[in-house]
Amino acid sequence: MSFVDEQLTAIRPLWDRMLSHTFLTDTRDGTIDQDSFAVWMRQDYLFVEAALPFLATLIAKAPEGHRAPLSRTLEALRRELILFEERAEAVGVNLRGAPPSFTCHAYVQFLLATGYRASYSEAYTVLYVAEKAYFDSWKVVRAGIDPDSPWFPFVQNWSAPEFETWVNHLGEQLDELAVEAGAAERRRMAELFRLTTLYEIAFWEMAASGDTWPGLDAGFDPGLTGTNAVWRDDDTDPSQHAWKGVVVEGGE
Amino acid sequence: MTLAITERLYEAARPIWDAQLEHPFVRGLGDGSLAEERFRRWVLQDYRYLQEFARVFAWAVAKAPRLDSMSWYASVLDLTLNTEMELHRTYAARFGISAEDLETEPMWPTTRAYTDFLVRTAADGGMPRLLAALLPCAWGYSYIGKALAREEAPEDQRYADWIALYASEEFADAASRLRDEMDREAAHVAPEEEARLQEIFVISSQYEWLFWEMCWNGEEWPV
Repeated sequence: MSFVDEQLTAIRPLWDRMLSHTFLTDTRDGTIDQDSFAVWMRQDYLFVEAALPFLATLIAKAPEGHRAPLSRTLEALRRELILFEERAEAVGVNLRGAPPSFTCHAYVQFLLATGYRASYSEAYTVLYVAEKAYFDSWKVVRAGIDPDSPWFPFVQNWSAPEFETWVNHLGEQLDELAVEAGAAERRRMAELFRLTTLYEIAFWEMAASGDTWPGLDAGFDPGLTGTNAVWRDDDTDPSQHAWKGVVVEGGE
Repeated sequence: MTLAITERLYEAARPIWDAQLEHPFVRGLGDGSLAEERFRRWVLQDYRYLQEFARVFAWAVAKAPRLDSMSWYASVLDLTLNTEMELHRTYAARFGISAEDLETEPMWPTTRAYTDFLVRTAADGGMPRLLAALLPCAWGYSYIGKALAREEAPEDQRYADWIALYASEEFADAASRLRDEMDREAAHVAPEEEARLQEIFVISSQYEWLFWEMCWNGEEWPV
């Protein structure tokens, strides 16, 4: 079995949980709360912005044959940002100045720290899983969404045949990298495969239910603003929110 | 005279530092009432944390603009990897935690997010940003150690030793050197950059608080 198939099999329950997430099914069925979708838009916009330097770290380490396709992805990400901006304008969502949610912040640190610290094959694993998760997730939405939905352009973007071709290409390359990897590196790649999936689930969960930075009940609120601002006015119990996205609730 | 930048950073994060002193984990460590089960979590997670913390010093060696700073960061890196990690293993053994337990302990979500934040900031930021991310740990532990040492030592010698270590002059000197580095490197940054440094300092401070919280409550990845 190839590395990708092996990993997808190993984490199947998690992957299924991601694909049956209510954020996706509600978007598919047209019952998604507008505010939830706006939360996702703002946070994913921040995430795509961070994906640019992440890709740059990959390109810096890439074997020669990998450089051109990854460089083209930089342009694809730039187009994604434009898609977000156009949709935001069309539906009246303000993308600017939103502080990152805790989940978005942590996922972005994970992405960049992996890009800087890990091997090319390890970081490539994270890229593949994030892209594969998006293709599979938006395919779920595609299976029933009204083409007149304001969210349809997002669905089109990530369920398009071109995107599928790209994800399949990444998977093939990852399998090749895994063949060349030693046992220890493969173990790290497998761990990153799982961790990325956890963060993907956490991201949908954050969009559907919101999250807040933990610790607000300790009575401190420096009231930061800006790109890395982390505080929200929210009087809910933080212990109920910290990392709730990665805690997969319910029994298997 | 205007305050040094580290003083301004401290003022910005002060509510979080105060909250750390009042955290039940820290209070319990100080008066000896902390359940061993909770403290064991700290021993295990801090070992994973230290490895990434050391990596940040490696980046500091690479980025430091002056030879004497490079030398000092290199000596801290050496001390962390080749002395402190060993001390941590010896200390862990007093709680029945083996070297293998330490090596195989999975990172909990907060440890993962904090260390990813440190590594990312060390890698893509300049020296002032790297230092802003580091200081809440290095300076904060000295700050907490000193605060706890002003009270009566806990009966449990293992907790008393923890406090003595972080309240030590050696530890305070290292924290002080780091602050000096920061005050020098960030002396002339633009206001926008200082705001960014403050954000980073506050985020690391919040992670310090979260680390106590994680050890107090326990935390797990699913599956």
